[in-house]
Amino acid sequence: MKPAALSTLRQSHRSFAAILVLLCAVLSFVITTANAAEEHAAPPHAAVAAAHEAEHHGLPNAAPVLFHIGPLPVNNSMIITWIVALSVIVFAQIATKRIRSAAEAAHEVPSGAQNFWELLVEGLYNFLGEILGPKLIKITFWFFATIFIFILFTNWFGLIPGVGTVGMGHHDAQGFFHLDRPLLRGGNADLNMTAAMALTFFAFWIIWAVRENAHGKTGPAGVVAGGWGIIKHLFASKGSETGFMKVFLIVVFFMVGLIEVVSILFRPVSLSFRLYGNVFAGENILESMQNLVPSLGWLIPVPFYFLELLVGLVQALVFTLLTSVFTLLICTHEEEPGEKAHANH
Amino acid sequence: MSNLHVGLAGLGSAIGVGLIGARAAEATGRNPGAAGAVRNVAIIFAALAEGIIFFAIYLAK
Repeated sequence: MKPAALSTLRQSHRSFAAILVLLCAVLSFVITTANAAEEHAAPPHAAVAAAHEAEHHGLPNAAPVLFHIGPLPVNNSMIITWIVALSVIVFAQIATKRIRSAAEAAHEVPSGAQNFWELLVEGLYNFLGEILGPKLIKITFWFFATIFIFILFTNWFGLIPGVGTVGMGHHDAQGFFHLDRPLLRGGNADLNMTAAMALTFFAFWIIWAVRENAHGKTGPAGVVAGGWGIIKHLFASKGSETGFMKVFLIVVFFMVGLIEVVSILFRPVSLSFRLYGNVFAGENILESMQNLVPSLGWLIPVPFYFLELLVGLVQALVFTLLTSVFTLLICTHEEEPGEKAHANH
Repeated sequence: MSNLHVGLAGLGSAIGVGLIGARAAEATGRNPGAAGAVRNVAIIFAALAEGIIFFAIYLAK
């Protein structure tokens, strides 16, 4: 492994704990506010929802709350999130225990867990490096790698048999058992989780955008310069015409900037809905296929499990790719005519 | 009525994703060396086309 990649690897695995703690904090906040809002609307809704649910056997849209820690409600998706986060942290610690500098490790080929982890992290580094470029990847790699690894393993963990089928329920009048509150549910099948990740990304997106558009200035002056740089980036005219055309282009690019701002504001919404929708729809399909023909419930979902393996990987990739492209779009400058001309041909 | 909206949105994004997939396969066939770059672009745009259906599902009344 190259020394630069090695130091990034060390930095990234130290950042794992920090980013996951941050994610959990944002998640708790979102879920607490969502729950507070729900409690106001609960009484008329609850009866209708219960009656509705008794009719068709689908997955509920929101993850059922299992218990409370103080004022914080804990639902079954959060438990999977914690399990996956803990496993990833522990595995990363074990895998990187014997990491040393390139000179010391010259005669040694890593094996086992370390080999796997290096393959994953180095593969991600090269893959994202092609998109983001050598400068930006050093600043942002820890975030995108964490988000990819976390989403991927959360999605795949949700496919293990027992997730969504073991839990608490009730017997109805005919004596059939209905599972109301499964102990586990796919981590990203909870809109709070995906919204938390999308909002965390946007907090960092703003920080990176300000820093990259400040052109080396630091402190309060850097923030002002960065903010002005972003506004110029979004609204300024990119044409080189003079006279009437120049005024016309300024108006056009201002309007384009307004559209761009709306599209930026919609990004967290579409990011979180896309991931939630895919994972939730996948879990729903698996459940429907299981109930399609009762005697063949063990066979019919099998092809769909393979589909979900693919969807889990593709959605992790999509979230990582989209967030990195969004970062690239705001952080690239027009001041590199040579590079731009090169890229165009 | 909301079912019709979601169905139309599903039709639209399915056509979009299908076109992207077809063109991505075509591009990879013409220039196998650019397979990686084509794949990335295809995934990004497939995700954007697919996003429409989720707006339709959650915004339909």
